[in-house]
Amino acid sequence: MEAQEKPSILECMDIWKVFGNNAQSLLSELGPNPDDNAFARHKLIAGVRGVSLKVRKGEIFVIMGLSGSGKSTLVRCMTGLHALTAGHMLIDGLDLAQLSDADLVHLRRRKISMVFQDFALLPHLTVLGNVAFPLRVQGIGRQAREDTALRMIELVGLKGRESYYPDELSGGQQQRVGIARSLTTQPDVWFLDEPFSALDPLIRRDMQTEFLRLQSMLTKTIVFITHDFDEAVRLADRMAVMKDGRIVQIGRPEDLILSPADEYIENFTRNIPKNKVLRVRSIMDARTAPNNDVALPAEACLCDVAERVITGKGHHPVVDAEGTVVGALHRSDLAQYLV
Amino acid sequence: MSLADTLPSPRPSLRSAVLLAVALLAVSLSFLSRENPLVVFPRAWEVDLATPLGETMTFLARDFRIGPVQFSTVTRAIGWLISQPFELLAGVMAEGFSHYRIDAPTIYVPPLPWLGITSVFCLTAWWFGSVPLALWTGGCFFAFAVFGLWESAMLTLASVLIAVIVGSIGGIGLGILGYRSRRFNAALQPVYDILQTLPLFSYLVPMILFFGFGPVAALMATIVFALPPMARVTTEALRSLPRSVSEFGTIAGCSPFQLTWLVRIPAARQKLLLGVNQVIMLSLAVVIVASLIGAGGLGGDVLSALKSMRIGDAVAAGLAITLIAITIDRLSYAVAMQRREHGRADLPWHRRRAFGLSCTALVVASIAISPLAPAVHTWPEALTVSLGRYGNGVVQWIGTHFDAQISWLRDTALIVFLKPTKTFFLSVPWAGFVLVVATLGWILGGWRLALLGATVFLAIAVLGYWKKAMISLYLVALSVGSAMFIGTMLGVWAGLSNRAARVLIAVVDVLQTLPTFVYLIPVVMLFSIGDVPAFLAIVLYAIAPAIRYTCAGVRGVPQALIEGARMSGCDNRQLVTHVKIPLALPTILLGLNQVIMMAFGMLVITALVGSRGLEEVTLVAVARVAPGDGLLAGLAIAGMAIVCDRYVKALNRVIAYHLGLSVPR
Ligand SMILES: Nc1ncnc2c1ncn2[C@@H]1O[C@H](COP(=O)(O)OP(=O)(O)OP(=O)(O)O)[C@@H](O)[C@H]1O
Ligand SMILES: [Mg+2]
Repeated sequence: MEAQEKPSILECMDIWKVFGNNAQSLLSELGPNPDDNAFARHKLIAGVRGVSLKVRKGEIFVIMGLSGSGKSTLVRCMTGLHALTAGHMLIDGLDLAQLSDADLVHLRRRKISMVFQDFALLPHLTVLGNVAFPLRVQGIGRQAREDTALRMIELVGLKGRESYYPDELSGGQQQRVGIARSLTTQPDVWFLDEPFSALDPLIRRDMQTEFLRLQSMLTKTIVFITHDFDEAVRLADRMAVMKDGRIVQIGRPEDLILSPADEYIENFTRNIPKNKVLRVRSIMDARTAPNNDVALPAEACLCDVAERVITGKGHHPVVDAEGTVVGALHRSDLAQYLV
Repeated sequence: MSLADTLPSPRPSLRSAVLLAVALLAVSLSFLSRENPLVVFPRAWEVDLATPLGETMTFLARDFRIGPVQFSTVTRAIGWLISQPFELLAGVMAEGFSHYRIDAPTIYVPPLPWLGITSVFCLTAWWFGSVPLALWTGGCFFAFAVFGLWESAMLTLASVLIAVIVGSIGGIGLGILGYRSRRFNAALQPVYDILQTLPLFSYLVPMILFFGFGPVAALMATIVFALPPMARVTTEALRSLPRSVSEFGTIAGCSPFQLTWLVRIPAARQKLLLGVNQVIMLSLAVVIVASLIGAGGLGGDVLSALKSMRIGDAVAAGLAITLIAITIDRLSYAVAMQRREHGRADLPWHRRRAFGLSCTALVVASIAISPLAPAVHTWPEALTVSLGRYGNGVVQWIGTHFDAQISWLRDTALIVFLKPTKTFFLSVPWAGFVLVVATLGWILGGWRLALLGATVFLAIAVLGYWKKAMISLYLVALSVGSAMFIGTMLGVWAGLSNRAARVLIAVVDVLQTLPTFVYLIPVVMLFSIGDVPAFLAIVLYAIAPAIRYTCAGVRGVPQALIEGARMSGCDNRQLVTHVKIPLALPTILLGLNQVIMMAFGMLVITALVGSRGLEEVTLVAVARVAPGDGLLAGLAIAGMAIVCDRYVKALNRVIAYHLGLSVPR
């Protein structure tokens, strides 16, 4: 709704990534929508198949899928690490395939950055050296880059460990370094490929909170990869679910829960505590007039208003941020989500 | 994909038919008389390739020109380039610098004081390693001074240093190219294989041709020898980096140059340094043998002592080589594995540079003191202990007192083992041999392997090296057999008993550190020259991997299998014979492969103690500067070594497959 008016900064247009010899010419021979057998016959492996999506400025876009579904391959396509087999990838309106090497390097230095599942810290550099590295590559002087790096280290809560080497840090701390490092260049778009998958569940939870805190300060455009549906739902403004290299459904987490595209999605949503995810706005009745005066905020999640709705009588008014009434909610609307 | 279709074995029925036919043929061949051309390869069929090859190389070295540039000018320029840092280092560490003037006294700048050099090495050992390592290093260097071996030891050290620096840089360069381009890497592999199995002496002749007799040719030979392992280690180290590290570099916007030198190479630092450690040990082994073409240093001392039968002096210099080998192995290992402490970045600069500053201070101090106390600079002649003189006496004493026992041992070994095996190898009809090699190859690994085996041995016959090759092969076969027999027994013992393992692995560690050349000294001391000392030297040198791999194999049997066997009622003995040894077999065979390679490596050197096979041809070629013969005979040895390597690997695959195990690497 209001998010749709924001311009998109990333755009995938029918992206294909097929591994194998002569993938490009074979893919064009195989026609618009080849099946698994066709790929197998030519000894090709399809990593990403015909993905189209747009990521809007300032949103957290989560790509969720099980292992081997092609998430990493898609992200590598989006960052230009893989040359596409077919399709176009636009960053800020620029087609990656059309860029010269120098322009590509410039784009990477200034506009994008990435966090890796296995941290990918450089073992020979200290925390400070690692965080300052992207600036060093740009030829920025020692004093300037270390000042910036120190600020980033402080931002992720690692102050005091600047001179440690990566193998002296815990997994969670290492990933904080990875995050700090990816923020030093102040990129517009921030890619995170399963950044918390290698961490223990408790630490993962902390890091998610931390991540949301950072994002509330920075408001970058974020592409976040995960194989964990809960994590996706918790973090996403919008999300896409991948399976076998294709996108099964794109939408806000609520959209996926309220109207799953197929059984595959439904399997994921079944165990999600819906009252914590859904907002009043998405289940309210926009046509009925409210008939009591206990107002409910439209963006509140169901669990926060549940008590008021259940103890109240009749249709509650739902009001948006400006205070205008946008719909009504009756306790019978709520019942099915309170499992 | 199952393992079955990766194993190129022929069908069973076909296999039995071929086996039967080959057996019949081989048996009937052995009944032929020696006049038959299928038994002894006829002279008329031989092709003389050595002469034209030698002529080509001589032409290359003398008269070949690329456009206006004489090829020899190029080689001379390279030689000059290499010799500059070497002469500088040799001057600083060992010889000093002399500047001759026509009508004035010569200016002589002395080398660094021995105490200065020793203390710098001690400091390095302490800084990167431990106090014991520092004490050991100090002790060794002190011994060099006291026993009058200082200058030779420093010369050897200087050669090794230069060879390692140049070899590592070149190797890393080649390794990076190999990492960048798969095709380039694939093309280089067979070249590396040949370079690594080519006998040392075969390197030396072309080096003499191109660079002249002297330390530079020796250095070049060493560098060429050290390049392939460093290149391989580099490619391997870069390949094993996590993919995300390179990806991070790309995303951070590195240029290709930055990606290589700021990201990949430093991230692979530890593996590269371990590679450098290997290169150091290899260079040391080669530098010593290269004294044959005038490298000087400790190798030269041993060689001249052996020539004049001053065995005691040879032992003393050999001991010094051993000490140097162990010291720089441990030192470079310590440097490679160093843990850097954090918190260094905030220290003031003199604390951060503490190591370099202290080294400089030590050197300056020793130079400053030396005019006052000359003993700090050069160990006084009067206090030098000549180990050699005592050594010569001891050797003489052993010779006179144990002569009977030693000759008995030598003669028995000769009569019971060596002679019969040699006669057997020499009497085998060449055609039958080639046939059997080909069939074996076919069964183990398919027709490609068969083709490789048959081609190599046919080529040996055609080049006229058959007899010499059989003599080499007999020595290798017998020593590999003995080394494996003794080695596996010791290995099983080490695998079963912790105490045995501790002792044996320590011994093996030392054995594997020693340069090939050192092994010759004790065997010559006891058995003078001939096949017996050669045989013993090979067994001693090659036994280390047999012990190590067997021990690892026995210890590596999964605990679950052992418990399973115990539950099904195995007693201790059955556990060893039915479970541990069979399951360790693939690992033991991997050891066999190494044993064979090391046996060939040692075989080449045994020419110095008078073995008479192909290795002798390569050695004689050095003396006569006959590049054709030296190279071809060397290639023949390399060929045999490569065939053995591939056959054993194929055998390993087959056995692992039948045991249902994954092939160990
Ligand atoms: N370089 C490559 N060459 C060939 N096949 C590849 C390559 N990279 C990925 N694939 C294949 O593409 C498919 C998708 O892989 P990808 O790494 O994108 O999965 P993923 O969703 O990131 O999984 P995970 O959660 O395990 O990281 C897999 O089937 C994989 O085997
Ligand atoms: Mg992935």
